[in-house]
Formats: sequence, structure tokens, C-alpha cells
Amino acid sequence: MICGFCHKEIPDEKVGNRNGEESCGRCLGGCRKIHCPWCGYANPAPGRLLSRLLSKKKDEIE
Amino acid sequence: MSDQQENSLKIILVGNPNVGKSVLFNMLTGAYTTVSNYPGTSVEVSRGSCTINQCDCEVLDTPGMYSMMPITEEERVARRILLVEQPHAVIHVIDARNIERMLPMTIQLIEARLPVILVVNILDEAERLGMKFDLERLEQNLGIPVIGAVMKRKIGLEELKQKISGFSPKPHASFCYADDLEKDIDDVAAQLKGQYRLSQRAVAILLLQKDEDIQQLVTEQEGPRCLMALTGLVHEISFKRRADLHLQISLERRKICQQMLVDVVTEQAQDRELFGEKLSRWMVNPWSGVPILLIVVYLALYKFVGGFGAGTLVDLIEGHLFETYINPPVIELARRYLTANWLYELIAGEYGLWTLGIRYAVALVLPIVGSFFLVFSLLEDSGYFPRLALLVDRVFKKIGLSGRAVIPMVLGFGCDTMATLVTRTLESKRERIIATLLLALAIPCSAQFGVILGLLSISPLALAVWVVVLLGIFLVVGMLSGRLMPGEPPVFYMEIPPLRPPQLRNVLIKTLTRMQSYFVEILPLFLFASVILWAGKMTGGLDRLIGLLSPVVRAIGLPEQATTAFVFGFFRRDFGAAGLYDLQTSGYLTIAQLTVAAVTLTLFVPCVAQFLVMAKERGVKVAFQILVFVTLLSFAVGWVLNKILMISGLLA
Repeated sequence: MICGFCHKEIPDEKVGNRNGEESCGRCLGGCRKIHCPWCGYANPAPGRLLSRLLSKKKDEIE
Repeated sequence: MSDQQENSLKIILVGNPNVGKSVLFNMLTGAYTTVSNYPGTSVEVSRGSCTINQCDCEVLDTPGMYSMMPITEEERVARRILLVEQPHAVIHVIDARNIERMLPMTIQLIEARLPVILVVNILDEAERLGMKFDLERLEQNLGIPVIGAVMKRKIGLEELKQKISGFSPKPHASFCYADDLEKDIDDVAAQLKGQYRLSQRAVAILLLQKDEDIQQLVTEQEGPRCLMALTGLVHEISFKRRADLHLQISLERRKICQQMLVDVVTEQAQDRELFGEKLSRWMVNPWSGVPILLIVVYLALYKFVGGFGAGTLVDLIEGHLFETYINPPVIELARRYLTANWLYELIAGEYGLWTLGIRYAVALVLPIVGSFFLVFSLLEDSGYFPRLALLVDRVFKKIGLSGRAVIPMVLGFGCDTMATLVTRTLESKRERIIATLLLALAIPCSAQFGVILGLLSISPLALAVWVVVLLGIFLVVGMLSGRLMPGEPPVFYMEIPPLRPPQLRNVLIKTLTRMQSYFVEILPLFLFASVILWAGKMTGGLDRLIGLLSPVVRAIGLPEQATTAFVFGFFRRDFGAAGLYDLQTSGYLTIAQLTVAAVTLTLFVPCVAQFLVMAKERGVKVAFQILVFVTLLSFAVGWVLNKILMISGLLA
């Protein structure tokens, strides 16, 4: 995932593991923000429904 | 470890993410690879083997790293591999298109006296962009082997293998920084007596940059007497250079790379590229950057969010769809089947779950927020925000902040609560408190901003007054805070990513994600607020609260009905703004009153969630101080503005 602010690559571990990180606790159903380790920008992470739709679309394309 | 592995040559691949390291790794090793976590971490490191000119080689693919000064766990692991392993060659893979941004790490690797071979990859795409490279000259300048490559097409692979097999590191080139910095580095390096894999110069620089792993390493390597003298010296230099050490080192390396690339890279003029670069330069220059910012605000926020989102879309969804097709049958059903008055009021009354909670969330706020998020994602994906950070850095310094504070400020226009959380990325406590205060005071969240833009778009002069007052309050309060709170002026330095046309897929995903998060979060809160207001109405508590607040509201020249919008604002800022929208469409407010109400409500107390995050991040005492200050100031500004508008007849 590329950070929306500094355009640096956010490591996959950070993206996949966001539930394990400290969060503000505001997002119902778990954290949906991925903080860039380099600049601190809060990037939106697609929720479960949107992720499923996106992966379905990707599968269809492939 | 097997004998074969012990006798094999070790090759370590390093570089930024997405430069083709893994492609090169696969080309070299084929199927003979293992992936395992680096000891003590969850970071994966790939190892493989290959034979180059009858020599057995072990190849390590390290996680992506941007510099030798690690920030993430991945970078730390990559750097630790360089500290621990004894490589025959360290292959630094860079993207030819971004050679200027990536070469500083090559300089760091050479400074560390590692056996570096540079692979300038993705040459084909760089040449397509009009870039031409003199890699022989780059090889002379750097003093290390340099290979041009297109690894996905195996171009440069054989040459790289030849270089690896015949590689014997020559004495490294040395790169000089400014005299004063060189002296400090030399002084620290001279104190280092232990054995290190990296050069003493590299260790000295990392020590001065307060690299914790290096501090640990030095503690292990140096004797107690040396360590004490060294620690004292590093503290002294670090304190002397506390404001600009990182910045100066980064700028010096960048300068070295720029000078080195003068005769190495030539770029053919291409209209599109030239325009992109020009636009990027205009965006950060105050003379052209401010007009560009005003154009962005006018087109993206005023015309699109205010005009299209809050006007056309809300008219369509709230005015047409809800008022004509959805509300009448719902209210009729409620009237017919909900015979108990309290139940009817709960569902379809003045503060009912349907008539207030769902209508506000779905028909009023969501279309406005959706259009705001679309614009926000477009600007974000284009790379405009880092340029905005550079543009405002000078102004922000006057108020005790740096351009880095643009990140929470920009995020605040999406959601102030999340932005308050992000203030933790600012360097000093002073900066964090000032940013938290300004977020609570003068930065409206997306929904509130959108609704107010929509309301005031009927009178450009009213909108101008709102903008001028908010900007004035932001600057005056910021400057006073900067003066009252002692501290060092912050330094801001960041790499600016290239400007690019926004990608439709990215923009849509980000917009939909933000809308989904927002909707899931606000709907329960709006419903909860409706229930509280309904309970207040049924018990008479709401009337008493309105009775208590109404003298204050009347004092700033607003009708008593506007008190409800401020009560709504306690729950959420956008809920209050939506209440104001209802008042305006019902004809309760003149343009002047609307402007006063919009200014006061924007400055008014942060919502409950933001207050809780403020208390968590800055402490309960600071959060309460900010709350009291913001509440008093908002009504004071509303009162003064009302008097000015009344006396001057402006907006009459």
C-alpha cells in the first residue's frame, strides 16, 4: 500500500496487522486507518465489504 | 550451517520497496529459495542460492528500506543484516526514474564502506520518459561498479553476474559535507575504538542522529572510559545541533547527489513532464502557490462541495427523494400504527429517529461528505498535500508549528478526532498542544465544512466573511500560543513525491472507504442523539436547556430557535451544522444571522469523540482548558461579529 501523503510504500505487515496496533477505538468493528510509519498520515483501509468486492473484481479481471 | 553455505559468497540485495529487488532475486536464485522470519521479528527475509561463474553464492533479499537510519521494523531488519553479515557484495537496486531520490542511500552504503554494486533498474521506462544516463560517469563519480538494467527483461543480468564474480572492492570514494559538520563527524569517529562492520564515519553519523541500535552497538563495543567520553561528546554536539542535524545531513547528501548527477542524467524536454514539474514548482512558491490554493478552494470546495454536493445532491436526495417519495408514506404509516404519542414522537416526531437521525445522516450529511471525500481523495492522490505543507511551512512557523502540522490540519478537514490523534507525530509537546487547540477551534470537519459551504454559497460575501474570520482566529490564536508557549522553532524537511494525475481506481476506493467508515460511525451517533433529544423533549429537559442557553444565543443576535443547533453541536459538529441547515431552509435566519451562526458553530466546542481523544492524547487538564477557552472564544467572536455586521450594515 502506498501512503497517500508521502507516497512511500507502507510495509504489508503494517497493513495486514492494523487490528493489532494501537488505535483510537473510534471505528466500529475495528480500526480502519493505516498510519504511515514514515509521515504518520492516516490512510483509509477498505472495510470488509469493500475489500471483498475489490478482490472479486480483481479475480474476474484475472 | 552447511559447509557449502559457509564457503559460498554472500550477496545481499538492498533498496527501496518496488524497485525490482525481488525480480532480481528470483532471476538469480530461480526455485532455490527459502522464506523465513528474521530472528526475533515477524519480518520475512528470503534466502536463495545460485552459481555464478562456478562460484556458489548465497543471496539474501532484504525488506525494503529508504535509508540506513531505520524507522520501521522492516528497515531495522534490513540494516541489521548489513551490520551482522559479511557480504561479498551488497547490490543496491534503485529505480532509474527516481535516481535523485534513491542515490542518497547509495552514498550512505558507500560511506559505511560496504562492498556496493549499484544496479540502476527500470531503465526502459526512464528512457521512455526522456531521461538519458551516462552510467560510466556515474561509476567514476561513485567509485563503485554501476550497471544499467531492466531486470524484468533480464537486461543487465549477465553483466551483473560478471561484476559479482570478479568483484573486489576498491578504496571507496569519500563525500565531503560542510566543514562544520565534517569536524563534528570526525571528532566522534576519532573516539570510536571498537570493531564495527560499518565504517567509523557511518557509525559516527548514525550516533549523532540518535540511532538506538547503533547506540546499543557502541555500548557493547567500547570500553567504559571511551564510552563515557564518546557519550559526552555526542550529547554536546547533538544539543548544539538539536534544531537542524537531520536536516543538514539530508541536505548535504542531496546536494552531493545533485552535483553528481549533473553530467550523468540528461532529460529531454517533454511537454507533459515539463508542465508537471512547473506546476509542482508553482505550487510551493508563495506567489503562485497561494493563487493556486485559492483556485483549488474555489473550484473543489466552493463550487463542487458547496454548490454540487450541498446544493444539487442534497436538493435531489433530501428535497426531492425524501420529502416527496419517502417521508410522506413513512410518516403516514407512523401516524396510522403508532397510536401512542411517545412512540410516534420517537419515530417520526420533531426529533424522531427517522425524521431527524436517518434524514440528517442519509439525506443531508452523506451527500455533502461524499462530495468532500471525492475532492479530498483527488487532491491526495495527485500529491498536492506535501506541496501544501511546504507552502504553508513559513506561516506555520510563525505560530509555533512546522509544515509537518499540515498532515493533522488536512486530516482535520476530514475528521478532527482522527486528526487530533495524528498530532502525536509532531516533534515537540508544544507543537502537539498548539495543533490540538487549533483543530478544536478553527478547523471544521468535513460534514460541518460541507454543510456550511452549502449554506453560505447563497451569498459569496457571507462565505468570504466566514473564511476571513476563521483564518484570522486561526492565525491570531496560533501566534499567541506560539508566543506564550516557550520552545524551539520546529524544522520541517520532507521528500516531495512526484506530482501525478490522480488514478481513478485509487480515488474511488479511497472515497468509498471514507464514506463507508463515516456512515457506519455517524448513523448510530445520530440515532443516539435523536433519542436523547426526544427524551429531553418528552421530559421537558430540552426546553429547560434551551431556556438556559437561549440568552447567550440571543446575545449574539440569533433567534431562540438557533439554540437547538448548538445543543446538536454538543453531540457532533456536523449534527449542529445540519440543524443550522434546517433553520435556514425554514426561513428563520437572515444572511447576517446565518454568517454569525456559522462562525460561532464552527468555532464552538469540539464534539464528544474529539474531546475524549484530546483528553487521552494531551491529558484531562489540557483538554478541559481547551474546551473552556474554545467555548468562551466562540461566543465572544460571535458577539463581536454580530455587532460589526449590525453597525456596518454589511450583509444586511
